[in-house]
Amino acid sequence: MADEAHFSSNDGSTTMREFNRRTLLMAAAGMAGGGALAGCSGVGGGSGGGGDDASGSVRYAFWGNNVRMENYQDAFDRMMEINPDVTLETEFAEYNAFQERMTTQMAAGNVADIFWIPSASVMSYYANDLYRPLSDVSTLDLSDFSEQDLRDFELAGEHNTMPHGIFVPVLRSNVTLAEEDGITIPENWTWDELAEFARDYANNSPDDRFALPFNASHDLTFEAWLRQRGEQLWTEDGQIGFTEDGLASWVDWWEQLRAAGATPEPGAQDGVEPSWEDIGDRTLLWTGNSNHIVDDATTFPDQQFALHHMPEAADAPAGHQFLYFPRMAIYQGVSDEQAELAGQVMTFCTSNSEIHEYVGLTMGAPVNPRVAEEVRDFASDYELQMLDVVTEDREIERTPRYEAPPGTNTWRTEMTRMLEQVTLGDVSVSQGAADLIAEINTGIERAAD
Amino acid sequence: MADTRTPARPPGTRRPKAGKLTRQDGAAHVFMAPWLIGLVAITALPMFASLYLAFTDYNILSSPTWVGTENFERMAGDDRFWSAAWVTVTYVLVSVPLQLAFALALAMVLDKGLRGLAIYRSAYYLPSLLGTSVAVAVLWKQIFGYDGLVNQALGLIGIEGQNWLQNPDTALGTLIVLNVWTFGSPMVIFLAGLRQIPEELYEASRVDGASIVRQFASITIPLLTPIIFFNLILQTIGSFQAFTQAHVISSGTGGPVDSTLFYTLYIYQQAFVNFDMGYASALAWVLMVVIAIITAVHFTLSKRWVFYGD
Repeated sequence: MADEAHFSSNDGSTTMREFNRRTLLMAAAGMAGGGALAGCSGVGGGSGGGGDDASGSVRYAFWGNNVRMENYQDAFDRMMEINPDVTLETEFAEYNAFQERMTTQMAAGNVADIFWIPSASVMSYYANDLYRPLSDVSTLDLSDFSEQDLRDFELAGEHNTMPHGIFVPVLRSNVTLAEEDGITIPENWTWDELAEFARDYANNSPDDRFALPFNASHDLTFEAWLRQRGEQLWTEDGQIGFTEDGLASWVDWWEQLRAAGATPEPGAQDGVEPSWEDIGDRTLLWTGNSNHIVDDATTFPDQQFALHHMPEAADAPAGHQFLYFPRMAIYQGVSDEQAELAGQVMTFCTSNSEIHEYVGLTMGAPVNPRVAEEVRDFASDYELQMLDVVTEDREIERTPRYEAPPGTNTWRTEMTRMLEQVTLGDVSVSQGAADLIAEINTGIERAAD
Repeated sequence: MADTRTPARPPGTRRPKAGKLTRQDGAAHVFMAPWLIGLVAITALPMFASLYLAFTDYNILSSPTWVGTENFERMAGDDRFWSAAWVTVTYVLVSVPLQLAFALALAMVLDKGLRGLAIYRSAYYLPSLLGTSVAVAVLWKQIFGYDGLVNQALGLIGIEGQNWLQNPDTALGTLIVLNVWTFGSPMVIFLAGLRQIPEELYEASRVDGASIVRQFASITIPLLTPIIFFNLILQTIGSFQAFTQAHVISSGTGGPVDSTLFYTLYIYQQAFVNFDMGYASALAWVLMVVIAIITAVHFTLSKRWVFYGD
C-alpha cells in the first residue's frame, strides 16, 4: 500500500489519472461482479454452507399469514434468549410463494437449514434426498415420544422429518345456528344419517341457510371416507390407494346433497372449494381440519362453534382413524455442526410448550404428548376442543397412512377441476372419477421415469 | 437546419487507430458494464439455459436428462396446453382491440382541452399502474363475486346475479374487462399523438365542409396510425404474457374448468407446481416464438396501413 502511494506521487499527474482510472475500473468490475455474485447467493445469504459459521445462525423457512409470521418471530426471539448460541433467521412467505421460493432454492442448492414441507411435496422432496436423517442429530430431544410415535413420523422406514402439529378431519358445527333452529348435533352418526339430516335441514330451515358447504374437494375428509371403505389415499409403494368406485361414491354423496339443496351451488360459495368467509355464518355444519376452528372462529366472533368426530360408516374397518402431520425437515446439505444447531431449534418447536404461548395452536395439536398436556393450561376453549378431538383419535390404534407419492403435487388441483366439470354437468361422476385417476397416474408414471 | 456534419478533431489530436480504445471508450464501457453484466447474467444466460432445458427432462432436484424434442411433441397431445392457448388467444383478440378503442376514445375527449385535464389524465392512468397488481385482482373478486357489486346492482333492477368468476362462460370475460379497464397507458400515448396532429389540417377540412366523422376518418386516424401501431404491438405482447390477474382470481388453478388458464399460468404450474422445468421451458419458448411471429406479421402488415408522413 505504501509502495503504491509512493509510485503515484512520483509519477506525476498523468500517471495519477491512469492509476485512478484503473482503480475505478477495478472498483466497478468488483462491484458489478459482487452484485452478480450476490444475486446468485439466493435469499438472505443466511447460513447456507455455514456449517463453520461461528455465529451459529440457522435459517428457518415457513409459510402462513402475517399474524403467524409475527407470532413465530416473537416465539423465536424467546428461543434465542433460551439458546443464546443460536441466531435464527426466518424466511417467511405466503403458501404459494413459499413453494416457489423453495423450488428456486432447491435449484440453487440453497435451501434453508430448517423448512416446512408442503403436504403434496413430502415424498417428492424425499425422493430427491432433501431431508437429513434426524437420528444422528443429538440436540433433537425425542425423549417424550413413544416408539409408536416415532414410527408414525417415519417416511419409508426412516426418521428424517419432524411433525410440528397434528390435524384430524372433523365435522364442525355452528352452535349459534343450531340453537336458533332448535337442533342438537349427534355425536355419533353415519354418513347416510348425516345426509338425511342435511336434506331435512334444507327443507325446514330458512332459505339462506345451508346444512353443509359443497366440500368434496377437502382432502382429509375424502381420505377419511376412503379409509372407512377399507381404501387408502396412497399406498406404501407410491401408487393411488383408492378405486374409481371409491372416488365416485364420494363425489356422488356430495352431488346428491347439492341436488337436494342441502349444500350451496359452487357459484354461491366461491367455487367448489367453499369460502368460509362467504358462507361460514350461514352454514350449520362444516367438514375440515381440526385446527381450522382456531382461526375460523375469529371470522364470526358473534357465533359459537363446536368440533365433532367425522361420521363413521356402519361397516368401517377398525383403525380407520388417522393423524395428519404437517412436517418440517433439516436440509441434507447442512454440515453436522449446523444440523446440531438446527436440532436445538426443532426441539424448541416440538418439545417446549412455551412456543405455543406465542403461536397458539393454529398448526394443530402439539405433536409432543407432554406438551399437548401442558398447553391445556393456557389454551382457549376452541383449542381445548381441538386438543380433545385429536387426543381421542391419537389414542386409537390406527392402520398405517402414507404420504402423496412423487408426481402428485397437483392432485388436489386436478380434483378441483374434476369437481367443477361434474357440478357443471360437463362429465358424469363415473367419467370424472376415471379421468382423475388416469391423470394422477400419468403424473406418478412421469415422476418415476 | 441543424448541422449534422461530424465535428472536426481538436487541433493537435490524432485520429484514434481502429480497434484501439480511447479514454472516452473506457469510461463508456465502465458505465455500460452494470447493464451489460445484467443483460448477460440475468437475461441472456437464463434464456439460453432455458433453451437447453426445453430439450431435457428436468425436475430441479435431479440433473437434466436430454430427451430431444419430446417436450415439444408432448404439447400436441396435451389438452391443457391447447386450452391455455385458446384462452390466451381469445383474451388477446378481444381485450386488445377493446382496450385500444377505449383508450383512443378517452384520449380524444381529454384532447378537447377540459378543465383539470391533469387530474383526469392521472385518474384514468391510475388503473394502468394498479391493473396487474394483486390488490386489483382481489378487488375484482369483490366486484364480480356472488355477493359483489355487480350482482347488487343487478338485484336493484330485479335480476338475479351469479358468481361471474366461478362460471366458465363468464370468468374470462371479467378478466377481459379488467384488462380493458387498464387503458390508461395507451391512452396517455394516444393523447401525446393527438397533440402532434397539426390543427391547420382540421381547420382546412372544416373550411371544406368535412364533418367530425370525416375528420376522424381522414385526418385523425391516418396521422395516428404510428401511435396505434405502437400501442397495438405493446398491448398484444403484454396480453400474451398476462399472468397476475388469472393467478390471483383463480388461486393459481386457472379455473373454473381451465376457463382462465392463461398460457403463462400453465407455464407457472408446470414449472413451480409440477417441477417439470423441461416442459415449462419448452412451453415458454413456444410462446416466445409465437409472439415473435405475430410481431413480425404486425410489422409486415404495417406497411399497408401505418402512415409515417414520409
